[in-house]
Amino acid sequence: MVAQGAVMEPTTDSAARGRTIDERFVSVIVPVVERVDDLVTLYHSFGAALAERGNEHEFVFVFDGAYAPSAELAALSQERPNLRLLRFARTFGETAALRLGIERSRGDVLLTLPAYFQVRPEGVGALLDALDEQTDVVVASRSPRIDSWLNRLQSAAFNRMISGVTERRFHDIACGVRVLRRSAAEQLPLYGDLHRFIPAMALREGFQVVEVAVPQHPGNARTRLYGPGIYARRLLDLAAFFFLAKFTEKPLRFFGLVGSVFFAGGAITSLVLLVNRIEGQAIANRPLLLLAVLCLALGVQLMGLGLVGEIIVHLRAPHRRAYRVRERV
Amino acid sequence: MPLTHAPEPDPAPDLSVVAPLYNESQNVAPLVEWILEALSGCAGRFEVILVDDGSRDDTWSKVVAASVLDPRVHGLRLGRNVGQTAAMMAGFDHARGRVVVSLDGDLQNDPRDIPALVAKLDEGYDLVCGWRQQRQDKFLLRKVPSWVANRMIRRLTGVPITDNGCSLKAYRRELLDRISLYAEQHRFIPALSASAGARITEMPVRHHARRYGESKYGISRTVKVLVDLFTLKMITTFRSRPLLGFGTAALPLLVAAGLFAGAAVIAATQFREIKATAVVFPGAALLFGAAAFYLVMLGLVSEVALRNERESASEIPTAWEIR
Repeated sequence: MVAQGAVMEPTTDSAARGRTIDERFVSVIVPVVERVDDLVTLYHSFGAALAERGNEHEFVFVFDGAYAPSAELAALSQERPNLRLLRFARTFGETAALRLGIERSRGDVLLTLPAYFQVRPEGVGALLDALDEQTDVVVASRSPRIDSWLNRLQSAAFNRMISGVTERRFHDIACGVRVLRRSAAEQLPLYGDLHRFIPAMALREGFQVVEVAVPQHPGNARTRLYGPGIYARRLLDLAAFFFLAKFTEKPLRFFGLVGSVFFAGGAITSLVLLVNRIEGQAIANRPLLLLAVLCLALGVQLMGLGLVGEIIVHLRAPHRRAYRVRERV
Repeated sequence: MPLTHAPEPDPAPDLSVVAPLYNESQNVAPLVEWILEALSGCAGRFEVILVDDGSRDDTWSKVVAASVLDPRVHGLRLGRNVGQTAAMMAGFDHARGRVVVSLDGDLQNDPRDIPALVAKLDEGYDLVCGWRQQRQDKFLLRKVPSWVANRMIRRLTGVPITDNGCSLKAYRRELLDRISLYAEQHRFIPALSASAGARITEMPVRHHARRYGESKYGISRTVKVLVDLFTLKMITTFRSRPLLGFGTAALPLLVAAGLFAGAAVIAATQFREIKATAVVFPGAALLFGAAAFYLVMLGLVSEVALRNERESASEIPTAWEIR
């Protein structure tokens, strides 16, 4: 992904590998990472919604280190071959859980669900309907929202900030309910805590993304307020995503800008001091001299860092492509 | 996905013509017609590759229509708008010809110049750049910035090409395998090719005023070009020997550190009464010294981090056989 111009490995589509794509089979991936509702109910109700639509399906639950399947769920998985439970030995987070789910599932159409009722199970049909030939990723947008204004405010603020970075406005980017083609999911640069940005990332990578309104589940309406640490982390994620999206191809544009601000500040201060010295004032006892030198040094260091980044990007260029071919004739 | 890479029965063509298109709906059909007409007298097979760079108008359907009319016309549709450089790279990656010609999709380049460019290439060059005669663009907004940028590019890169901004160029396949363009580097193709060891020349080509659609450029681009040019100059100087480059950059900082250290010694021995002197000058010397040290360390990091990349095959310069 990487900045102006998403960057990625050359495309290999399932179709190109000679496999036939089964649109009817849906792999449901559920990362169990923070909030957990009754997973047996979740399995039954979403499974029923899929079955009603005529979709064969499998469920892959990925439990992060701190969570374990209930006895009931474990027993159920013994008798249901389409229910698989995976568990990390320690905490790896949602992005890692999603990646494992993608790797261990077999369907060409993937449905990611949070481990709690975020949307009504009936709404899944609309998502799958929207996955036509021209579409790679369908993201759910909880609408109408039935939860409190505080939840909506937080959500709106987050979406607003992300929309400042992406070329298209998303209404509910953090919603964990998404439908992805395997070909797209496997090419998304998923690491760190970037799962929240999947729709924006897919767009940058040149995939076709649509947003579909899905009714919110009443269980999702409870007011949520997090500790300040969580909000700080979200902001850092956003900053990381912003940097990746804007400057991965041109690191010197960022480091050079910040560095030259410092350098210019240091240079101006030095000039002022030099003029003072010529006018006969002593500068040796002025702490301002230290500040000037510090700014100059910092400016040079930042530009040096940007340059290292620039050289890395340059030498990696033969292995990356900033485009994705959507169609050929 | 309807993306099937069907086996291509026709043998590889000798010449590939690549044209990136962004919102050029009206220009597609005339462009194709013009290219086919200009190349009809050519010996050898050719193909035309139209790259739709995520257009928002119906450029793609026009491309599909053109490809239906003539099997030598191929179309690529990119997932989103990625800019001219990446769109050209997409075309180059899919071009199968021994010789590849790039041109603008806006009818300002004249396809009738293609045979001459290719002939020039066969005289023993890897890259032939077009040089637009009587440019049909606005004087103040396009020509003056372009003149300034071209002069700067010539001075800094040392490649004597007059018109770096002209898209009409002919490349040998071996050269394209050696250069990887990203960001907005299509303007620096001559400079990048020169650093890959290419033999480069230029020749005059025709230039027409825009018939349909709007220009996608503005004057703000000149500043960006200059920043990119500076970056490119730094990269090409530093990339082969990063430690040497960073070491050189650290020298002035070391000198400054030395000066302040000297001043500190003088101040300490001559002017004992001012106590603050004991902090400010040594402090400044240490800061400069630390920055110099830091740059040398960055050079070391680059040496280590880039080892694999610099070993890769695309780092071998291109060369030609002497008979």
